[in-house]
Amino acid sequence: MKKSLIVFIVAGLVLLTTGLWFFTSVNKFNTMDLLHFGVITLLVGFAVFVGSKRLSNAKRGEPVEDELSKKILQKTAAISYYISLYIWVFLIFLKDRVKFETEELLGTGILAMAVTFGISWLIFNHKGIKND
Amino acid sequence: MTNRIKEFRARHNLTQDELAKKVNVRRETIVFLEQNKYNPSLKLAHDLASVFSVTIEELFIF
Repeated sequence: MKKSLIVFIVAGLVLLTTGLWFFTSVNKFNTMDLLHFGVITLLVGFAVFVGSKRLSNAKRGEPVEDELSKKILQKTAAISYYISLYIWVFLIFLKDRVKFETEELLGTGILAMAVTFGISWLIFNHKGIKND
Repeated sequence: MTNRIKEFRARHNLTQDELAKKVNVRRETIVFLEQNKYNPSLKLAHDLASVFSVTIEELFIF
């Protein structure tokens, strides 16, 4: 129960910070900022979905985590870390060719890592894990 | 590796929810097991076999 509530708290904080950023600089927004904002909203939506799934499990009297969910999380972390390395290499390659501000580059990299994690989690949650 | 969890669950008139609670896992894990998308740990295999009062070899086909 506690763990699922933490997900909601973190998602709320991210949404609050992003909302503040959005309302204080709404006139200075460029396409990249809008893209960042869209991806952050998508990630928060994903976190709320995971949190509500955990909460419904807890309400049904089932454990929030079990051996399969832990294994999926471990495999997701390993794969997304591996992919993230290539993302950073690609962004460094891109940095010299496209005009990027450092904050933009870091923001894009971090968001890309989060998106990779989310997509990997969805794939393993759909495909399952076979230890063959 | 395949398993006969669905067959034994039907024989014991258990829902996926009930079986999940008996072996202390989420209902999704039972769904994954029945669809052969996940090979359980030895402990979970033992717990499942105990619920159905069969051996692990009877429940899982190697």
